[in-house]
Parts: sequence; structure tokens; C-alpha cells
Amino acid sequence: MQNIDNIFWFIPFSSLIALGFAFHFFKQVMKESEGTDKMIKVASHVRKGAMAYLKQQYKVVGIFFLIIVILFSVLAYGFNLQNEWVPGAFLTGGFFSALAGFFGMKTATYASARTANAARTSLNMALRVAFRSGAVMGLVVVGLGLFDISAWFIVLNYFVDEPTVAEKMMIITTTMLTFGMGASAQALFARVGGGIFTKAADVGGDLVGKVEAGIPEDDPRNPATIADNVGDNVGDVAGMGADLYESYCGSILATAALGAAAFMKDADSQMKAILAPMLIAAVGIILSIIGIYMVKAKEGATQRQLLKSLSRGTNISSALIIVFSWIILYVLELDNIWGIWGAIVTGLITGIIIGRATEYYTSEEYRPTQKIAESSNTGAATVIISGLGMGMISTAIPVMAVVAGIIFSFLFASEFDVNNMSIGLYGIGIAAVGMLSTLGITLATDAYGPIADNAGGNAEMCELGPEVRKRTDSLDSLGNTTAATGKGFAIGSAALTALALLASYIEELKIGIIRLLQTAENYSFPNGKVVFSASEVSAISLTDFMNFFKVNLMNPTVLIGIFIGSMMAFVFCGLTMNAVGRAAGAMVDEVRRQFREIPGILSGKNEPDYANCVAISTKGAQKEMMLPSILAITVPIAVGLIFGVAGTMGLLVGGLGAGFVLAVFMANSGGAWDNAKKYVEAGHLGGKGSAAHKATVIGDTVGDPFKDTSGPSLNILIKLMSMVAIVMSGVTVAYSLL
Amino acid sequence: MKPNIYLNLTPEALIASMLSPEEFGSYMAVGIKKRTRGQVIFLEVDGDAIEDILPLEYINERCIPQEGGRPKSSVYLSIYRVLESIPVSALKSLYLTTDDGRTMEIKKGDYPGDIKSSAHLYQELCPVTPRIISKLAPAQFIDYMTKGTEKVSVPKLAFVELQLNGLTEDFENSPAHNLPYPNIDHLRDCLKILNEEPGKTQKTIVRFFSRELLFRTIKNGFFIGDNKEMVYYPFPSEEELNDKNYAWWRSAKSIGFN
Repeated sequence: MQNIDNIFWFIPFSSLIALGFAFHFFKQVMKESEGTDKMIKVASHVRKGAMAYLKQQYKVVGIFFLIIVILFSVLAYGFNLQNEWVPGAFLTGGFFSALAGFFGMKTATYASARTANAARTSLNMALRVAFRSGAVMGLVVVGLGLFDISAWFIVLNYFVDEPTVAEKMMIITTTMLTFGMGASAQALFARVGGGIFTKAADVGGDLVGKVEAGIPEDDPRNPATIADNVGDNVGDVAGMGADLYESYCGSILATAALGAAAFMKDADSQMKAILAPMLIAAVGIILSIIGIYMVKAKEGATQRQLLKSLSRGTNISSALIIVFSWIILYVLELDNIWGIWGAIVTGLITGIIIGRATEYYTSEEYRPTQKIAESSNTGAATVIISGLGMGMISTAIPVMAVVAGIIFSFLFASEFDVNNMSIGLYGIGIAAVGMLSTLGITLATDAYGPIADNAGGNAEMCELGPEVRKRTDSLDSLGNTTAATGKGFAIGSAALTALALLASYIEELKIGIIRLLQTAENYSFPNGKVVFSASEVSAISLTDFMNFFKVNLMNPTVLIGIFIGSMMAFVFCGLTMNAVGRAAGAMVDEVRRQFREIPGILSGKNEPDYANCVAISTKGAQKEMMLPSILAITVPIAVGLIFGVAGTMGLLVGGLGAGFVLAVFMANSGGAWDNAKKYVEAGHLGGKGSAAHKATVIGDTVGDPFKDTSGPSLNILIKLMSMVAIVMSGVTVAYSLL
Repeated sequence: MKPNIYLNLTPEALIASMLSPEEFGSYMAVGIKKRTRGQVIFLEVDGDAIEDILPLEYINERCIPQEGGRPKSSVYLSIYRVLESIPVSALKSLYLTTDDGRTMEIKKGDYPGDIKSSAHLYQELCPVTPRIISKLAPAQFIDYMTKGTEKVSVPKLAFVELQLNGLTEDFENSPAHNLPYPNIDHLRDCLKILNEEPGKTQKTIVRFFSRELLFRTIKNGFFIGDNKEMVYYPFPSEEELNDKNYAWWRSAKSIGFN
């Protein structure tokens, strides 16, 4: 067993601190009263619906995990094509991600009525309850993520036995990377299923309200209202949490694997390079907690002041991580401290630019969204056209930010030596870690949104006083802004994480070949090069590896992979969009049935059957998520088996390129349509009820699955395809046809 | 049980019903199985005050509980020239029902007197339904329209004054941001004509009322009467609506697609 540096123990300690504070915040939230009987009743409907959804979701995911674990066990123990730790690592990755989702949802559904009730006292109290509830999700995600990583590191360090420390660390980090697939698979179901659920309920409920009944949003007479509130939690709490859990763990693990490969020659430096991303994440947790305590608002605060108080927390955490990451690198005495630190700062800046660009293109305070709103003067068609156009244009800044992020993080880490590929790629990985290091507070800000939204719904349904509604409206409106920037952050971090995973795929291939050499005399690369020993494989440089596998643009299999990868992004989007359409249709039918068969719903004499609407959305989500999910998992395996490593690399590049741009486009178009409607509702272009309003409502409805289902699901697709490729790399090198 | 008598304004009809105003509004708006929807503007009429014109036998025969004891929702008594036959003094509260069946009562109020304005926007509701702009204040307008000396007149009139915001002062340049009227440029043109032709007192903006009145555009309230007497139903302020009739107000502000 290799001695672990003392500094390592700060990582599990920090994860436990995160979980401790999450528990502390949870207790604080639970101490608050849920308010009147009616408020408790509404909250209980939402809670029951959310838990019913999770139970069903975990049942389906459980079956899927069982099948995959059996498959991995066969590959690992039957064919020696995988590390024997993979099935267990895969399982824990998924389990902890699901656990984070469960805790987050539980807290969020307990918090909405409490937030509404706190709003009866003061704005600051309500902000505190909502934000600290969001912080539970944020801290549980980073706490469980880092706990799982550190636990596996300790276990593998104890059990894995290799001739050299460097090889041992290579095996440990690449094995740990596979637990990311568990998180990825769980995130896929959470994001896709959650996205379909939330929009089936939202669009279905809206269509009933607007087309069928003229019922306002959050009206208790609308049978789909509770499902809509459940959907906010399912999509934006559990779905977003699982997405970022995956990015968080994926970026740390990929960077550790890249670090292990880049510093193979010096065991001491190698250990430091592995620990650096984990330590930055660990310090990020402490800084996130400090940031969470900085969030408070004055009574009667304006929208701008509320946003400022939320930003204060995230800005302080981000500023401190810049300072502390340098200290970590200094303490570790890592080579090229300034360069690695520059890469971390690059990641942070990239995240900020993407967030700001998202805000610019989706907020009604800026011209792009106002222009979409103005196009409503000529009807819904021009709203759709201008929204699509603006969404496409809006991809430029995030893409250029990522491009600049890749260039600078690579150059800083490699000391401006473009040939120093492995350390340059480590720089890209650590940039992603820098971006996600303060996820504790960033996710708290994201999860706060649906809690405030549900609190507003609770206040509406329970007909609380105008002052209370004004406060919950302010919090809800703030939540809409943070949700839009949160989506930009999730996409940006997914892109950088996927890039780091793509780079670490090569390292997994090496391990796959080394494992093959345990049973075979030699391994022959597609270009004819033959290797005979593990040490020979370990010594191959990244560039040579690409040459041996013929990963170049003149190889048709690479081009085939790129085409299939690009297509995957669109097909996946199309499937999830259609899924929302079908599930929303089923919801409309159910609501019509209830109006027809349960007399007195509209007069308020009888309560609608809320549970049935939740069940319909749940059923729709579970059914509809299967095809896109299966596709996302099977296509990388099939491409690997048919077109080999070159084809897989092409697939991942195509998927990442098209998926990232498409995700930005869909999220920004959807967000801008939503806010164009709000701009009109605020009294512009005729205001509520005008022809312009009706046109923007149509735009908003079209944009709903864009921003909340298909766009966010693409984050998972681009990461999951890399993860599947990584985990199945052993099979790819052993059995690929071409 | 004595049935209630309601005067529906859009379209005009005199209806006997066993339902309370709230139930009647909901019934008229969404029916029983929610297969229809549409706003309703109606008044409760003092049955005793119009006993001489009511077909009492017919009401007693038809307006009785239905099978299963369900109260009779509506018995139409008259659908033509109804408003003119009802004395203004017999009118009780006004009720506004939203698309989804929420009803708000508006009690009679004191007319605050004419407020000087260069233009007023009126939506006539009964017996005719054009939307017009006028230089006349509500009391003057009702007098002008019902005294019978003009070529175009009606015996009695029900209408509501709508907001014009800044267009009253500057019809050419005021941004009209929060005014949801269709063809806003046409409205500006009409205001210009009204302003530039000294002898002209009113101009038609829209010839036909689509039966969808956006309640949020109401300026001061509803006016019903003739050149002898007039009742005024003041529309509550936004603050009051938020405080006391929030559910109705939310419903009134939400839009539907027909």
C-alpha cells in the first residue's frame, strides 16, 4: 500500500464537513413552520408526488443498473476485459448520485411551504429558508461526490498492487474514472426522465389553462398544477443536481487520470497531480459554505439587490478559490505552479463568461430578448423565427469562451509548449475542476430557483396576502434569472468535463491493452505496430497512440464517427422533444377527463385528482426516457465494436461539438422565449392579453422543452458517451471489427 | 324558492335562475362539464320591481328543481330589447365572470362627476356593441346617446370606459406600451381625426364587440342608463383587487386561446 500524503485526508474531511453543513441547514429549514393547514396540504401533495416519481424512477434505474452490473461483472471476471473493481465503482457512482437527488428533492419539497410561510414574516427570512434549502442540495452533491472519490481512492490504494507506484496510480485513477459512468447513467435518467416529467406537466397544465379553461398558473382547480410543481423539483433539483454531480466527479476523476498519465515518470509529482484536483474541490467546499453564509437580503430589497446578495455569495467563493488554489499548488509544490493556477483561473473565467453570455441572450433587460418580444407584433411565427435565429447566434460567445478556455488552459499548463500534450490536457481538466470547484454554492443558487417557484405556487394556491405574494414573486423572479445562468454553467462545465473525459479515454485504452496483454502474447494496433509488454504500452506517448490507432481526418472511420456523433445530438434532441409532446398530450387528455367526470372542480367544490396527473407524468417520463437513454448507451458501444478506437474518437468529437452547440442554442432560445413573454407581461407591446402576448406565449410553450428537456439532456449525452467509451475501452480494443 | 332574475349584457337576455350570482356566472361561463368557456357580464335585477313585465306563470312552471334536486340553472325569458325594458332603479349589483367561471360582484357607486379629458374610450355592451372614442364624459355620452335627438340613438345604454393612458394627451407619440388593443395605429388615427375635427364628438374604432373584454383595461367602471337616470358601477382599483378579490383578478388577467 502506498503511503497517502497527510494532506489527502483533508479531502474526505472536507466532504464530511459538506455533509455536516447540509444536515445543519436541513435541520434549520425543518425548524421553520409550514404555515396554515392549507399550505401544509398543498406542500404534502407536492411532496407525495415528488416521492412517488422518485420511487418509480429509482425502480426503473435499479433494474437498469442491475443489468449493467451483471454485464460489467461478466466482462471483468469472465473475460478479463475490465478491471474487477468496475462493477462496484459503477454502482457506487450511481448510488451516491441518486442519494444526492433524493436528499435534494426531499429538502426542496419540505422547503417550499416553509419559504412561503417565512415570506409572511419577511423577505430576508424567506430568502434564507429557500437558499439554505438549495444549499442542502449543493452541499450534498459535492459532499457525496468527494466522499465517494476519496473512499475509492483509499480502498483502491489499499488493494491494488502493481510493480511500480506510477503504474499503480494509473490503475487507480482509471478505475475510479469508471465510477463516473454510474453517475452518468443515473444523471441520464434523472435529466431525461425529469425533463420529460417537468415539461409534460408544465406544457400539459399550461395548455389546459390557456386552451381549455383559461385557468391561471398555479390555480388549485387545474388538476395538473401539483404535477407542475412536482416537475420543478424533479427537473431543476434532482435533474440539475445529478447533471452537475456527474460533471463534478467526472472533471475531478478525468483530471486525476490525466495527471497520473502526465506525470508517470515521477511518482511524487504524479501523486501531487492526482491530489491537486481533489484538494481544489475540497477547499471549494469550505469556500462554498462561507459564501452561503454571505447570502442575505434587506427587507424590501429590489430585484437587483436580491440578485446582488445571491451574487455576493458566489463571487466571494470564486474570488477566494483563486487565492486558495494557488496556496494548494504552492503547498503541494507541484511543478509549474503558475501555469496550473492559470489553467484553474481560466476555467473560472470561462464559466463566468458563459454565465454572463447566457444572461445577456436570455434576460429581458437586454436587446436580444427584447427584439424577440418586438417580433411578436407580426405574430407567433416571427417570434419562433427570431427566437431560433437568436438562439443560434447566442452559441458564438460560449463556444468562443470554451475555445479560449481550451487554448489558454492547455498553454498555461504546458508552459506554452504545444508538444507537451499530456500536461496540456491535464491543464484542460483542471480548468474544468476550477470551474466546478465552488459547485456547493453554485448549485445552491440553482436549486434555490424551483424552491422559490414552488413557494410562489404555494402562496398562490393558498391565497396568501398580497405582501406575501409580492415577496414570493420577487424570490421566484430571482430564481428565473439564476436558473438561466445555472443552465449556461451546467452546459459549459459539461463541455469542459467531456473534453477532459475525451482526453482520458486514451489512458483507459492503454489500460485495456495492458489487460489484454495479460492473456495474449502481443497486441497489434490498426497501423500495424505491435506491442508485447505493459511497460511498452505505458511508454507510448499520446500522439503516438493516436497515430497507432489511425485517429486522423483521412481515416474514414473517424469521419463516420463524427457524423454519427453529430447525428446523435440531433436524434436525441428530437426524441426528447417528441416525448414531451406526447406526454403533455396525455396530460391534457387526463385534465379534460377530470373536468368532465368530476363535477365541481371549477367552482372549487371538489378537489381534482392531483395524484393521477402526477402518475400520468411519471408514467410518460419513464416510458419516453427509455429509447433516448438506450440509444445514448448503445451507440458508443456499437461504434466502438464496429469502427474501433478511431470511430469512437470521431463519435465523441462529433457528439461533443454538435451536442455542446445544440445545447447552448436550445437553452438560450428557450430562455429567451420565456423572458420575451415576461417582457410583454411587464406591460410592453400591449401587455397581457394583447396579440403580442399571445404570440410570445406560443414562443414560450415551444421553448419549454428546448430549455428544460432537450437542451439539458444534451449535457448528459456528451458526457455519457465519453463515459461509456471509457468503460468499454477494453472491449473496443479487444473486439473492434475495423 | 323565488328564482333570481338576471340581466345578461353580452348578449342581452333576461334569465330566471335558481342559482346564486356566483353559481350562475360559473354556469354561464363554463357550463357543467367544462366543455365551453367565455366571460359573462350580468346584473341582478330586482324581480319585485319588474313584476309587471315578468312572465310569472312561465317562470313558476319552468324554473323548478331538476331531476335529483339540482336547481334549474337558466330559463330564458327574453332575448330582444331587454335592457330598455328594465327600469334603471331595478338594477342591483353587477357581476363580472371570467373565462374560467370566477365571479366578482360590483355594487353601485356614486358617480364621481365628469373628469375632463380630451378623449374617452368606450366599449358599448348593450344593446349595441361598437367600441368608440368620444370627447364626451360618461354622463354626457349617455345623455347624448339616449336622448333621442341624434340620428343614432338607443333608448338605454350600458357601456364601460377603457384606458387610453398617455394617448389622451399625445395620441401620436405616446408609447401605448400596456394597452393590449388590436390595431393601435388605427386607434391613433381615429384620435387624430377626433382631435382635428372640432365638430366631431365621437368616432367608431371597432364596429363589433368580440365578447372578450380585458378587465384589466377598464378605466373607471360601468355605466348603465338613459338621459333621465344613470347607475355607475365603479371598477375596484388594482390594489383593492389584489387585496380582496385576488383569485378573480388573477383569473381576469390570464389569457386564453380560442
